[in-house]
Amino acid sequence: MSMDAVLFWFLSIVVIGAGLSVVLMSNPIYSALSLVMTMVGVAALFATLNAYFLAGVQLIVYTGAVMVLFVMVLMLFDLKRELQAFSRGKITGFFKIAGVGVLAGLLVGVITFTTQKTSLIAEGSPLAADIAAQAASGADNTKILSENLFLKNILGFELLGVLLLVIAIGVVALSRSKGGTHARD
Amino acid sequence: MSSMGTTTFEIVINLVKTVLIFLMMVQAVPILVWLERRGSGFIQNRFGPNRVGPLGLVQLLADAVKFLNKEDFVPDKGNRFLFYAAPVFALIPAAVAFMAIPMSTPLTVGDSTFLIQGYEVNIGIVFILGISAMAVYTMLMAGWGSSSKFSLMGAMRAAAQVISYELALGLAIVGVILVYGTFNLTEMIVAQQGPLRFSGFGFDFVAPTAFLPNWGIFFQPLGAILLFCAAFAESNRLPFDLAEGEAELVAGFHTEYGGFKMLMFFIGEYGHMMIAAGLMTTFYFGGYGIPGWTTQEVYAAGLSMFGNETAASVFNTAIHFLSFNIKFAIFLWIFIHVRWTLPRFRYDQLMDIGWKTMLPWALFNTILTATVIFLASQYIIG
Amino acid sequence: MPLGGIIFIIFFIAVFGVILIYLARAIGGVAKRTSEAKMEIYECGIPEMEKKDTKISVNFYLTAILFILFDIEIIFMYPWAVNFREFISAGAGTYVFISMAIFLAIFIYGLWWEIKSKALDWEN
Repeated sequence: MSMDAVLFWFLSIVVIGAGLSVVLMSNPIYSALSLVMTMVGVAALFATLNAYFLAGVQLIVYTGAVMVLFVMVLMLFDLKRELQAFSRGKITGFFKIAGVGVLAGLLVGVITFTTQKTSLIAEGSPLAADIAAQAASGADNTKILSENLFLKNILGFELLGVLLLVIAIGVVALSRSKGGTHARD
Repeated sequence: MSSMGTTTFEIVINLVKTVLIFLMMVQAVPILVWLERRGSGFIQNRFGPNRVGPLGLVQLLADAVKFLNKEDFVPDKGNRFLFYAAPVFALIPAAVAFMAIPMSTPLTVGDSTFLIQGYEVNIGIVFILGISAMAVYTMLMAGWGSSSKFSLMGAMRAAAQVISYELALGLAIVGVILVYGTFNLTEMIVAQQGPLRFSGFGFDFVAPTAFLPNWGIFFQPLGAILLFCAAFAESNRLPFDLAEGEAELVAGFHTEYGGFKMLMFFIGEYGHMMIAAGLMTTFYFGGYGIPGWTTQEVYAAGLSMFGNETAASVFNTAIHFLSFNIKFAIFLWIFIHVRWTLPRFRYDQLMDIGWKTMLPWALFNTILTATVIFLASQYIIG
Repeated sequence: MPLGGIIFIIFFIAVFGVILIYLARAIGGVAKRTSEAKMEIYECGIPEMEKKDTKISVNFYLTAILFILFDIEIIFMYPWAVNFREFISAGAGTYVFISMAIFLAIFIYGLWWEIKSKALDWEN
């Protein structure tokens, strides 16, 4: 087995194990920390695919920002009540079974897609040629990314800025609303 | 193990090297603590530790023995797993990020070339930012795991502070990336070799003397100040050490910690200081470069002195390693000096500085840099 | 990217840290003579206050969420900054410069709005 294969299998086991412990741990803090581990593993998997910049973004945005918010919020509540509420009861039982069902469906789907060997990208399309050229060079793909982002899909990029602005304003508006558990006092 | 070497020999050497750099980092911490205590004594017109050994240098060994002898203690209500995991985790982000900073020219022995850094990451800056951002979890784990109100408040404050200043830090780095056009730290250092030069607006300027180096500080003075200030907040040092404001929070997120576990948090904190000093050196002060001589010139001088390629390479590496460490030590000393000079900010002042002062200035720096680069390529003066 | 080396050193540091903790435990010993007061969490001499029901200012969440948003916007500048000179030499300089100027204008408006709406104030 080549070194790349060893790395791939190792990272896959880490990601799947951490992902499973997100749903299996009864303590929400452990779940959140496992999710951090999953994000780090996914970043490493990106790096094995030569998507270095994407790996860095995964680290900065998901582990460095989004998960910090998750962990911060979870740490501020008395978790004993949540522990009881989510570990028994008919409704949570239903969600558990439904979750298992969805997971099984996803697994079957992934396995059938990957074993069929047919790529979702049509043969001979410019995108396929791009991907092939990039995979052959094995180089950093930041340039292709920025070309796509800033030259080809510029409208989407600007709209994203507007979307982030809307979110920022919405967050402040929500935090101002009176009542509920998060009211400002 | 891609790019950790091609032969088994190289891989083994490279792995041993990462371990050595980590141990060097851990070793540097007691020395820095000694320097800090002696330095604070010097600043406050007192002696500091001077009894144990010459100049009190063995004091750090005595401290380590004392730390080892402290009994192990976990509060009854604490979460034992997180309480123990937090100090271990404190070592990881700092060390892993520090290893991506190049400390000298590559060492060539026979057919093999060894980098004087843990590993070369081609997205250097993004990697360092991403990894060192994970230090927040250490504080949150420690704060929650010790189940104390003081710890939790300290952890929250530390986390909010660190993420706030990460914005200014990240934006200050955009200016650096614009100037060099790369994420790779080694390429940045190579770009800073030679005399100061600037081409644009239709003319090429080269400094008359080679001793005025082509350092980033001349292109990014504002960015350098912003990055250095943000680095103080990132490593939780005074004047930004609100996480452990002892008047309000006892000791912040490590209130319940003592003995060796406490020392491990210290190693993490000093590790972040070292990353900041290393980044300042690499971005703005030419990395391992020496003003007046390029690496090729030093190598040629070594070759004429020893007449042997391996010896010349060793000479080259050693000289540049020394150069890096001198700059590195100066920044570490500034960290220590500032700690004993400035008072602490209030928390709302801290947040105001981060969001309302440093972030707009970093934005201004980015816009200015981009505009100058753009205009320099488009217009000709005179 | 030297992933193997990074994973190796992470494992090494983790093992190193665990060994240090066990070493300190072995030499220093576990807390033997315990009393109720000793095992309590720290409080300045009054009965202990547990962390539960701690009320934390909503500003902490607000800071974290706004951090995520601005962080994403900053991350988008990285690939732009690293290729800016290449875009200029490829003749797309003006286009890319103006597109980022619009993005930055939205960013600055957002920041200005946050500051003006006092969402970032901690004084009250």
